[in-house]
Amino acid sequence: MSTNPFCEELTALLPRLRRFARGLTHDVADADDLCQQTVERALKSRQQWQEGSRLDAWVYRIMRNQWIDDMRARKRRAQTFVHEDEGLNVGMAGDRDAENLVELGNVDRALARLPEEQREAVVLVLVEGFAYKEAAEIIGIPQGTLTSRLGRGREALLRELGEIA
Amino acid sequence: MSVTDQDLMAFADGELSDADAARVASAVAADPALAARVDAERRLRTMLGVHFAPVVAEPVPETLTLMIAAAAAEETERDMTDAPELEAVSPPARVLDFAAARAKRQAAAPAARKPHARAWGTGAAIAASLVLGLVLGGQFAGRGAIAERNGALVASGALAKGLDTQLASAADDGAKAGGDLRVLASFQRTGGGYCRVFDRGATAGIACKDRGQWVLERTASGSGPERGDYRQAGSAQADLMAAAQNMAVGEPLDAAQERAARVKRWGD
Repeated sequence: MSTNPFCEELTALLPRLRRFARGLTHDVADADDLCQQTVERALKSRQQWQEGSRLDAWVYRIMRNQWIDDMRARKRRAQTFVHEDEGLNVGMAGDRDAENLVELGNVDRALARLPEEQREAVVLVLVEGFAYKEAAEIIGIPQGTLTSRLGRGREALLRELGEIA
Repeated sequence: MSVTDQDLMAFADGELSDADAARVASAVAADPALAARVDAERRLRTMLGVHFAPVVAEPVPETLTLMIAAAAAEETERDMTDAPELEAVSPPARVLDFAAARAKRQAAAPAARKPHARAWGTGAAIAASLVLGLVLGGQFAGRGAIAERNGALVASGALAKGLDTQLASAADDGAKAGGDLRVLASFQRTGGGYCRVFDRGATAGIACKDRGQWVLERTASGSGPERGDYRQAGSAQADLMAAAQNMAVGEPLDAAQERAARVKRWGD
C-alpha cells in the first residue's frame, strides 16, 4: 500500500474534525456536511499546504472558513435564520438518561446562543485545545481579538450554565 | 496589583508567562473570590470537553475515509506515471520511440524483455502479470461505454467520443472536460488503421478504428481508484504499451500527426 503522509494525517484528524464541526454547527447533519465539504476542499488544495507546518491548524482553518461561507449563504437565503431554543437538542437526545439530557441540553443551548465569533473562539480553545496563538491564526485575527472574544463568550457561558452569578 | 478577568482566564488556560502566572497565583491564593472564578473557568473547560467527547469516539463515516483513500490512490498512480526516471528516458511520456524500442528489443534476447526495458513509455514490460484480453464485460457494462457489434466489442458513448476527440499529446484535455479517460498513445497498425491506447480508470485497452467503429482489440484492468493494487495497475499500462508496440507500424503519432489524424476522423 501507498504511504502518503498528507492523506494519512488527514484521516487521523477526522475524529477531531467531526468534533469541531459539531461544536460549530450543533447539528449532526450540518456537521457531517461540513466535514465532507472540508475534506473535499482540503484534498483539492493540498498543494497549498506547506509540508512541515501543522496540518491540523490548516484543515481547521478550512473548516472554519467553509462554515462561515455556509452561514453567509444561509443568511442570504433566509434573513430570519434564528435557531434559539427550539428543536436544537432533538438530534442529541438519543437514548441518554434524563439527567444527562438536561445537562447536555444546557451546554448546547448556551453555545448556540453565543455569537458565531465567540463560539468559534470558545470551541477552538476550550474544546479543541488550541493555544490562543494557534486559535487566532486559524481564525485569522490578532491574538488580542481572540482573547477578548473568548473572554466574552466564556463569561456568557458561565452565566448561562449557572457557574457565576 | 490588580488581576483582571483576562488574567484569570489566561491563568486558567495556562497561557501566562511564568512571571505573570506566579503573580496571578499569589493573588488567587489570597482571594477566595478569584479562586472560585479560576475554578469555574476550569470546570467550564471540563464540561465542554466531556460534552463533545462522544463525537470523537464515534466511528468516522466511511464516505470521509474513502474520499481520502481515493485521493491517496490517485496521487500514488500519478507519482508512478510521472516518475522522473521514466521521463528522462522517454521524454514526454507519450512521445514514444518505437523504432528505438523495437531495435533494442530485437537486439536483445527474448528473455531480456524485462520490466525495466524502456520502450513504450513505462517500458516494454511483459511477463503478463495481468490478463490481457477479455476481462471486460462487467467493468464496462452499465456505463454505456461498450457495445457488441457483430461479435466484436466496440466503444460507444463517452468512450467512443473520447477516443474520437482526445489527444494523447494533450493529456489534460480529458481531465479538464471532467472525463476519466486518458489516451496514452496513438499509432497506426499494419494496414494503416489508427489505434489508441487508453486508460479509463477501471479498464484500459487498445481500440482501433475500423469502419467507423472503435473496436477494442485488447483490454486490461486499468488504473482506476477502485483497484487496490496500484503497482499492478501500472504494469497493466506497461503491458498494453508493449502490446501496442507489437501491433504498430512505425512510431507512435506525435502531436502534429495526432491532430492531423483527428481531423481525418481517424481514417473514417
